[in-house]
Amino acid sequence: MITITINDKEITLDQPMSVLEASRQAGIKIPTLCNHEILKPYGGCRLCVVEVERMPRLQNSCTLIAADGMVVKTESDVISEVRRGILEFLLINHPLDCPYCDKAGECELQDLVNKYGATAGRYKEEKRKVPESRKDQIFARNMERCVACTRCVRMCHDVQGSSSIAMIGRGGHTRMEPFTAESFNCEYCGNCLTVCPVGAILSRLNMHSFRPWQVDKEVETVCSYCGVGCSLIAQVRDDSIKRVIPKLGLGVNKGLLCSRGRFGYEYIGSEERLKTPLVKKDGELVQSTWSEALGIVADKLTEISKVNSGSSIAGIASSRCSNEDNYVFQKFMRMACGTNNIDSVSRTGFAAAQKYFEDLLGQGITGNMVDGLKHSETILVLGGDPTNVNPVLGLSIRQAARDGANIVVIGNAGGLEKFKTVQVVPHVFEEAEVLESLLLAVSKEKGVRGERPFVDKELRVLADRAPKTDVEGFEEAKKALLESGSTSIVMGMDLVQRTDGHRLLFTVAGLTYLLEARLYLLCERPNEQGLIDAGCVPEMLPGGRPINISDFRAKFEAEWNGTLPENDGLTILEMIEGARNHTIKAMYVMGENPAFNLPDSQSVKDALSGLDFLVVQDIFLTETAEMADVVLPALGWTEKAGTYTNLERRIQLQKKVVEQTGGMEDWRIIAELSNKMGYAMNYSETEDIMREIARVSPLYRDLSYNEIAQGNCLWPYHGEPLRGEVNEVPGMHDVDKEYNADFYLAVEKPLFHSGTLSRRSEALMKIYPEPLLKVGGSTAAKIGLQDGDRVQFTTSSGTIEALVAIDDSIKDNRVYYSNNFRSGGVFSVMKFNIDKVTNAPGIEGCEVRIKKL
Amino acid sequence: MFNDTVINEINEIRAKYPDRKSALLPALYVAQREFGWLSQEAMESVAHALNLPAAFVRGTASFYSMFKHKPVGRNVIQLCTNVSCMILGAEKLVDFLKTKYGVEPNATSEDGRFSLVIMECIGACGTAPAMLVNTDFHENLTEKSLEKILDKYK
Repeated sequence: MITITINDKEITLDQPMSVLEASRQAGIKIPTLCNHEILKPYGGCRLCVVEVERMPRLQNSCTLIAADGMVVKTESDVISEVRRGILEFLLINHPLDCPYCDKAGECELQDLVNKYGATAGRYKEEKRKVPESRKDQIFARNMERCVACTRCVRMCHDVQGSSSIAMIGRGGHTRMEPFTAESFNCEYCGNCLTVCPVGAILSRLNMHSFRPWQVDKEVETVCSYCGVGCSLIAQVRDDSIKRVIPKLGLGVNKGLLCSRGRFGYEYIGSEERLKTPLVKKDGELVQSTWSEALGIVADKLTEISKVNSGSSIAGIASSRCSNEDNYVFQKFMRMACGTNNIDSVSRTGFAAAQKYFEDLLGQGITGNMVDGLKHSETILVLGGDPTNVNPVLGLSIRQAARDGANIVVIGNAGGLEKFKTVQVVPHVFEEAEVLESLLLAVSKEKGVRGERPFVDKELRVLADRAPKTDVEGFEEAKKALLESGSTSIVMGMDLVQRTDGHRLLFTVAGLTYLLEARLYLLCERPNEQGLIDAGCVPEMLPGGRPINISDFRAKFEAEWNGTLPENDGLTILEMIEGARNHTIKAMYVMGENPAFNLPDSQSVKDALSGLDFLVVQDIFLTETAEMADVVLPALGWTEKAGTYTNLERRIQLQKKVVEQTGGMEDWRIIAELSNKMGYAMNYSETEDIMREIARVSPLYRDLSYNEIAQGNCLWPYHGEPLRGEVNEVPGMHDVDKEYNADFYLAVEKPLFHSGTLSRRSEALMKIYPEPLLKVGGSTAAKIGLQDGDRVQFTTSSGTIEALVAIDDSIKDNRVYYSNNFRSGGVFSVMKFNIDKVTNAPGIEGCEVRIKKL
Repeated sequence: MFNDTVINEINEIRAKYPDRKSALLPALYVAQREFGWLSQEAMESVAHALNLPAAFVRGTASFYSMFKHKPVGRNVIQLCTNVSCMILGAEKLVDFLKTKYGVEPNATSEDGRFSLVIMECIGACGTAPAMLVNTDFHENLTEKSLEKILDKYK
């Protein structure tokens, strides 16, 4: 125990820390300009000086470690004099343009000068003149205001790991600049904005349109982009979001954000938002009223369910909608329409993987704390780039790397390029062989555990195969995994969207099991986990209770007052197939865009056009909505309350921030329809729905908004998950195919975009305005391509023209193209075969020819 | 980007230090030799070779005046005009260089033969005025001796 006295207050510390940290802990404020809670001590600005008894000079409290018996004073005349002197020096070059500067009101320099003085400088020399740089679309860089504290540079390098900016020059001419001194060309996380104490780096979004003290309200809510579920604060003025900022120490992200979370909010105020229901008349969607539109939908669905039975209706739920929306949706499909045909686009990745792992290793196996990642000794990363898909989770991996962990990457490393310690790049689409060999090698050392009969059985089958260990890095990867005391596995969805997906998933499950690893599934949308929990899957009721078990059914029937359809419903790809062969007559799509977001999107469009009746409920007129018979305008993120469940199964509150656009909450639309169709749903607010979920779902048992609001609600809350092999897992299928083409097309998951939502966020469109074909260095050399060349690339199902970007982190012969932009997505030229075990679409092996234009 | 020989040279430098950051200054000299000055491409090449962030490389390079931060002529004259050299006529030499060779401070002659950098003391006050031409040291300069010396640098 260390006891120190600060300002006559005795403080006991349970671990070593600096005097500054001890003061903070005791609620004593010491001014700092270079020190920041998120960053390591730097000792540059000298503002945090304190008097320490028996020490001859003033001491920097940020770098002085508290010792037992120390007596410290943080304010005195001498200290004030020194601080005033330091501030006077800083103001020599500061332009004092506070009336014009956006930072005024929350500027640390302004506050300090206000407190300690030195308002009038004694220097007569001319001030440094540097014009504000607006060469970047997102950041304004004003180096006259910079106090060279280097917080931004340290944030960028030590925390974000982007290392895009540096202090350039020397002495009084030192300034922060990105490498090219023009555009930042960085990850645009904006975390430098959080730490800049002055107005040296400012966001250009809503610049000069509000003052920090003119914010009408600040609402703490959860980000709408990915499955990490970062906490953020939306600042509102005149009913529009002016700024999104993180809060230190809060939530999963603890003060950090990514580009999408910080700058991607603009879509919610987009001019393109749907404001009234639309109904197709004479082949054209025309504006309608709620009563007409809901009347048509209710009549049509009732008619189809009577004439053709419920099983000819299908529903697509949304991983962007809340738990409450999705719960009401599946209840409506099951009870009012009489069908278990409920699924989501999540089936093409997260939901498929999730089901496989839970069937094999028990419910909740993929529920691990994001924060725990950085304490791992070895992290195995495969199937995607965490720093793009789940950027804030990616930061934990980078932190682990800085702390000396082994980062083993299978395949292309993307944003982990500078952080990986071992990389294995299997020949394209031969990942299964390499991973099976790795699993086998691990099982030889670790032995069979005997707890999971299926895994143990398959391991014995694998033992007879010829191992494929001649890949560079294989031995190092094996060593890193075997020697690790605490292993995490981070898996992206590229390994799920494969016809041999189940084999790949099995190896990951096997490694998880043998190494007792923590398994993390990358999660592209905010509520993919919640969607599954809410029962928006064809084979499970809320809480992951299998529908084919009559006891579970009976329990839900008693709660829901009616009869449940008995058989498993169709998965999303089966629904599309059903639409194509007319066994599915009507489809209800809530907050999803299957005509764009499913592979082979052109044929999905063709299939959907054969439906008798298509209803789309969305916030924008998406590619799917354009085809609908009735379009119902919904409310978006920040316009409604609800809960999201993130990839670690943390249940978090989403709050209403701005007023409505003219749409209705998803759950309310469904409930009104349900009432019209004769199945009563009486909810007046989302909390009513959560109360019902807490009653029927064992995973959310007894959960209330009150408890969620206090944070740290991870399921199973008071209930019990199902353990063990819930469903029987089918064995392995060999997929024998040679992959010898020159180049293969794959899906880019850009850091700056997410689904089709981000295309309405102006800032994100400025950062990444048009889709680029990303190629590796060797591919570029082979065809003689350079950055910015225009090319045409052709697959068996189509041709796309695009500009080329060379990405040296791509080590194999894959080329990547995104599926986010209106001008066309990669899914329009990709065909797929279904993995019979996971029901996910296998999109691998898409040969592509590239022609330079 | 560097060719393989240069990459090998940088790898050898790198092997001398426990931390690759320590190899940065010597690697920047190699880049300067290869590219003539520290252009963006030169700094990116160093960043690539040492697996360091490009911005970090530029931040370090920009601190030091021994590096050439813009294109220079075939020969660089570093002439001192600090107190001792000034008293003994260095400023006249600056004028001489301008009229005779057409080279001004911080600029390059049109024929690309000379660049002139004004230095703050190169530690030769006893034998002022003094200068460096590339890496060669010359002292006790007069207009006459300067002309003779520069004849050797084409």
